[in-house]
Amino acid sequence: MDKPALLLNNIVKAFPGVLALDGASLEIKSGEIHGLVGENGAGKSTIIKVLAGVYQADSGSIEVFGEPLKPITPATVHRAGIRFIHQELHLVPHFSVTESVFMGQEISSPAGLSKGQMRRRAEAVLKDKLGRSISGRKLVRDLTTAERKLIQIARALIDDEARVVVFDEPTAPLASGEVVALMSAIERLKNSGITIVYISHYLDEITDICERVTVFRQGQSVAVFDTVTKATGSELVTAMIGREIASLYPDSDRNPHGTGLSVKSLGDGKSFQNVSFEVGRGEIFGIAGLIGSGREELVDALYGVNKIRYGTIEKDSKPIKISSPAIAVANGIVLVPRDRRQDGLVLPMNILENISLSVLKQISSYGFLNRKRERQVAEQQTAKIDIRPSNPKTVTRFLSGGNQQKVVLARWLANDANIFILDEPTVGVDVGARVEIYQLIADLAANGASIIVSSSDPAELIGLCDRVATMTRGVLSGVRITEKLTVDRLVALTTGATQESANVT
Amino acid sequence: MSLETLSRRSSTSLSAAIGAIPLILFVGLLIYFGLNAPNFLTVTNLKLVLVQSLPVMLICIGLSAVVMAGGDDVVSGGIDLSIPATTVLCAGIMASLLSAESTGLFVASIVALLAALLVGGLNALLVTRLSMTPLLTTLAMFVAVVGVNNVVTQRKRINVDHDAINAIREPFIFGIPLGLILVALITLIAFHFLHRTKWGLNLQAVGGSRDAASISGLNVNRLFGQSFIVAAVMGFVCSYFVLARGAGSSPGVEDNLMVEMVLATFLGAAFSPRRVVTMWGAALGAVLVVAISVGFKSMGVNVFWTGLIKGSLIVVVVATAALSQRLD
Repeated sequence: MDKPALLLNNIVKAFPGVLALDGASLEIKSGEIHGLVGENGAGKSTIIKVLAGVYQADSGSIEVFGEPLKPITPATVHRAGIRFIHQELHLVPHFSVTESVFMGQEISSPAGLSKGQMRRRAEAVLKDKLGRSISGRKLVRDLTTAERKLIQIARALIDDEARVVVFDEPTAPLASGEVVALMSAIERLKNSGITIVYISHYLDEITDICERVTVFRQGQSVAVFDTVTKATGSELVTAMIGREIASLYPDSDRNPHGTGLSVKSLGDGKSFQNVSFEVGRGEIFGIAGLIGSGREELVDALYGVNKIRYGTIEKDSKPIKISSPAIAVANGIVLVPRDRRQDGLVLPMNILENISLSVLKQISSYGFLNRKRERQVAEQQTAKIDIRPSNPKTVTRFLSGGNQQKVVLARWLANDANIFILDEPTVGVDVGARVEIYQLIADLAANGASIIVSSSDPAELIGLCDRVATMTRGVLSGVRITEKLTVDRLVALTTGATQESANVT
Repeated sequence: MSLETLSRRSSTSLSAAIGAIPLILFVGLLIYFGLNAPNFLTVTNLKLVLVQSLPVMLICIGLSAVVMAGGDDVVSGGIDLSIPATTVLCAGIMASLLSAESTGLFVASIVALLAALLVGGLNALLVTRLSMTPLLTTLAMFVAVVGVNNVVTQRKRINVDHDAINAIREPFIFGIPLGLILVALITLIAFHFLHRTKWGLNLQAVGGSRDAASISGLNVNRLFGQSFIVAAVMGFVCSYFVLARGAGSSPGVEDNLMVEMVLATFLGAAFSPRRVVTMWGAALGAVLVVAISVGFKSMGVNVFWTGLIKGSLIVVVVATAALSQRLD
């Protein structure tokens, strides 16, 4: 038998406070397509960055076709014939196909660039190795996303020295029709003898094209599947999750009634199409979906950050047009953004000032702030939600993630909002604060607010929400009652490991 | 899906239409001058325009190198406003050294070139090492360098009557001035290096997408830094033409050069099928901009108004560029 194309042995990599890789190993056989799966934070991207020479491992070794790789730097990795297809395209829009494929490796003579020779080579690589004819003269900005992906791949192959190609989430930006074309290009590469490492959240893709799969969890490779069939999908899910959901979540004895917000065939012409759903008053409605599924863009659109091309939004059965966050807030719709440090808080300001930002109207008269009133409102709110330290003069930069999130929530509580959109409400929040935030959300709903929770954590959605919808490739489907749902099933639905579209509402 | 393609296509053609507005505006103005200004469309006048535009063309080549390497985002991209200041400083240094009689043109040139390289090197260091925005860095550098020139020349006019410099404005063959031939040569050489070599393409890659360039193994900072050196050298070369045109160095030349340089370079993007700043687009832009200036003069428009007009034109050019980028 051949030497393995890649052998990563006992890799340990710690960051301050986190053990990202805890003795992870990975064996990629020569000439295979090997899948790499795991939840966010399982260590997939860390091990790839170690392999790329971007991170230096604390311990462990790497062998390439039996040869130890030392030292591990981007240059030595490149020389060993390992190429990376990054998730982001990294292309220059106004460059031609030829210029993009040859970037950094241009052929030139003393008379200047050999444009014709470069164009013929670029076109040949695209056609012979990837099975797609694209004119080298075309500009990148005139290509489809799938074609751009092929340009990116061609760039890795142009020097004819690639032996292992690592794909990181290659289909994330693609529409489902384009995925097939990319898959056949990857198959073609494999048939020409190149070893492929394939990282994806989409388990249907993994079971479709991979011959073997390694599952990562908590910084370790926990399972290796030597044969992969369609049926392996559910086993992969179990291996990926491998944990129980604790009782973090508040009781769901709520009583949703009526319709708070109704969205009808909404689309932005890019990231999501024909999205329809309704959220009742007093209901917590979840939206599941992977990064790149259009979930984030949908949330932004509901808040007026992202432009809506078609469709309608009705609040309390009255159509409203949300063209900016200010209009959303005026209509009682508020957002707790995913990146609270960047979008949610003014970090150099203190708790008091952050809370009063959204209620300036209530606490000012004739354009002057009523400082006493400001302090009252802020104290009311901080008392309600138990922010620590409770001194309202504390600058928010120094608060923990959980407390920062509570300040963001407190701000909107002070306002008279009744539709809450929470985007990744507990990312980077410790367990204790999570429980409090969940309770706060449940209280809001109990008071009759309509709540939309967009999250990449399936356990959170099932534990917290009354109903949950899944978003895949810009399409929202399958609204389900969470009582009838398990984490495995929800993961399977968002990753496409099972195909079903029955709407149970 | 078809809806998506359609909407993308319509926004692309809309962005192309908006990108063409400045060009239409300028050509419209030229036609207006041709119809209304006496003698505007005569051979003599057009030759005057061409000769007048030589200094602007030279610094436009320099600026286009910086914009190509830094990206054409008006706020955060590559720009070098200090080039005109470098030009007047070099002119000031050479004029004072030449008028001292004891120094020859060669020594004066070396001193001026060293001063220019110092300015370019400082720009490069501040922008790449300290990650300062080029716009603010080079604006500050412009003010500082003009200040140095005021110290050198005591803000006085210094006459220069040197055969080699006079030769630039005098006919060489077939009545064509030597300066025009020299600029044509320089333009060709610059075009070759910026658009026909690996180095030039890499420079554009850095400006197009810094991430893409660094992933492709290019030394992003070194290339961007080099563009400031190119700009400074072009500023130095331009100083000979400024000396020749004015028969010496005179204070205040830098303001007009700066306005025309910025206007011409970004206007030049409209000439490129890719709608990006190119070297030859900038050089053509220089001719257009100078033609407009001459046109206003021959229409008898008050000199004090031309500042407002040129300022507005810059706003139109830059705003349409930004708008067409956003739609793309």
